[in-house]
Amino acid sequence: MAKKSAAFPAGLYAMLLFALAWLTLPRVFAPLERWLVGSACFVPRLGSAWMGEPAMAANRDDLARIDQLSADLREGVRRSDFAGAGITMPVDDKKILCGVLSIGLRGGGGEPSELLLDHTYEELAGCREIVTKGPALLGFLLQPGVGRAADDLPSDPARVMLCNHRDAPRIYASLESEDPTPLRFVIEPAAVVDPEPMRVDFWDDPYRAAELSKSQQRVYTLPVSFGKQRVPGGLLVGRTRRWGYERENGEDSLTIGMFVTPAVAPRALSHVVVWRSGQYPDPPLAFRSTLRSRRRIHATVYDLPGATHGRHMLVADEDVPDGAAVVQDGLFLGSARGLCLGSALVTSFAASRQEWSLLYLPHDEQSIPIELHGRVERTEGHIAWLKWSGPSREQLARLGSGYLFTGSNGKFCPAGLWVGSAEPDRFERNWLKVTVPSQSGPRVAEVIVGERDA
Amino acid sequence: MRRWFWWFLLVPQGFLLVGFLQDLGLPPLNMAVLSCLYLSWFAQRSALPFLLLGVAIGRTLVDEATLPVHILVIGIPVALLLPLRSLFVAQRWLWQAVAAALLAVAVPKLAGLFGRVFDQPSLSSVLNGWQVVWSALLLPPLLTVLRFLPPFAGFTEPDGLDKVPQ
Repeated sequence: MAKKSAAFPAGLYAMLLFALAWLTLPRVFAPLERWLVGSACFVPRLGSAWMGEPAMAANRDDLARIDQLSADLREGVRRSDFAGAGITMPVDDKKILCGVLSIGLRGGGGEPSELLLDHTYEELAGCREIVTKGPALLGFLLQPGVGRAADDLPSDPARVMLCNHRDAPRIYASLESEDPTPLRFVIEPAAVVDPEPMRVDFWDDPYRAAELSKSQQRVYTLPVSFGKQRVPGGLLVGRTRRWGYERENGEDSLTIGMFVTPAVAPRALSHVVVWRSGQYPDPPLAFRSTLRSRRRIHATVYDLPGATHGRHMLVADEDVPDGAAVVQDGLFLGSARGLCLGSALVTSFAASRQEWSLLYLPHDEQSIPIELHGRVERTEGHIAWLKWSGPSREQLARLGSGYLFTGSNGKFCPAGLWVGSAEPDRFERNWLKVTVPSQSGPRVAEVIVGERDA
Repeated sequence: MRRWFWWFLLVPQGFLLVGFLQDLGLPPLNMAVLSCLYLSWFAQRSALPFLLLGVAIGRTLVDEATLPVHILVIGIPVALLLPLRSLFVAQRWLWQAVAAALLAVAVPKLAGLFGRVFDQPSLSSVLNGWQVVWSALLLPPLLTVLRFLPPFAGFTEPDGLDKVPQ
């Protein structure tokens, strides 16, 4: 019997199965993890008493500079995201800038196809269906209790179905062309395995379409109404990506398929704009949404002795939620993983390997912020190399040195926290070299936590 | 009961200690590899699940992935090496060094794999060549000492590696 148990360590296999169940139902086992890891932090927490007094805030000039940068970013975001006002959208429409709480549900091209906003359906009552960003069409606002949002309540975060969502309505569009007769077509969501999120389904002139030889042409909506939905004309949908054969010796090329790359990469989205008709009265609700936590509590951040550089322990007066942003003197220090008894483990931006939604503010005063999506690939001291995706070709052209801020990274990590200064890498085209201010020793910080229960 | 107390008190802190010694200039050892080797070669089989839990808690202190990911990253190599325990008996240094080097490669690779699958990427998935070399050179002799010291001594199988298979 003993030999059998030795040959088949059932307990070990049971533990591995348990770990899989844990990963499948993380919320169920989250309290267990908080206590187990929190207990192990008890020793460093005791040791923190001998680490000295925490450093206080930065000097007034530095704080003012960071505040000014954040204000510039907010102003830039509003200027760029509201660019469609009065041009493609009615001039008396009220525009509402919404943050993105989360993205999900793989759609066309394997890209995310659904957004969860930091405003509820109630707060967005009376808004038009279309959701934009600057001059670009992003998707369609769902209605609670209808279609894909059949189970949603008016008090739930509003959901947006992007244009590559499998249930998204087809879009009537045309190519930007010097040809006086526009080439019109219908765009539909592509399949998950397709190379781009959208594809052209139907051409009004298939013969002309077969002769298209260029990619990266802009695609604009044409005005159309279908059912209760109405899409105005002139909104940028994206750029074409042509699939076909190139012929040699001056023969004509042959296009067999046309895909459309969205104007803004879904993973990079931090803010979107919804439009409320000027005739519709504002709902009798506070405009300041409570879905996005803004409450900050004081905490002390300690270096964990020996842990990978950029790993810290945090001690606060309250429980810290997972993914909470830790801010030190206006600088985004990292995201926290909450443990028991007010402690948490913090991974700094430079030491993290998670995917980040980010905002890049070029130094040029006229520049508008660029939304990025990226991941730190390499770190040397206080410099991190970020591999990014998301910016359009126009934005790439003006990508100089600038400042990096957080984008929308969940409920407890809002957009606009300063990460550091950045510049494009000289050798890798889609890498950013980010210099993150850093200091060692205990320091005073703030953590963004959930709102207090009323 | 006391041996469990010392295990859960000391082993998680061992991860911090190894990093601290590395900061002081000592060779970069991988505590996860050391634990894997101990669990697969020396530890009592009946105690393995909770020994593994203690090790995984320690790794959670220094790495951003969650506890169950670390259980898998460390537990799977242990489950694979455990049936081969007799192969490493009687101070077969070469085999032990090869196993340590393989684990020093496998553990980061597994961390990378599970990071991608469960969307929990972490810094420990980066393979460090020096860590592989130092693991092969230092971990086998280090383990021969450590298994007789607390908290490891409390869980070392008394007849584990002393028997030479016939």
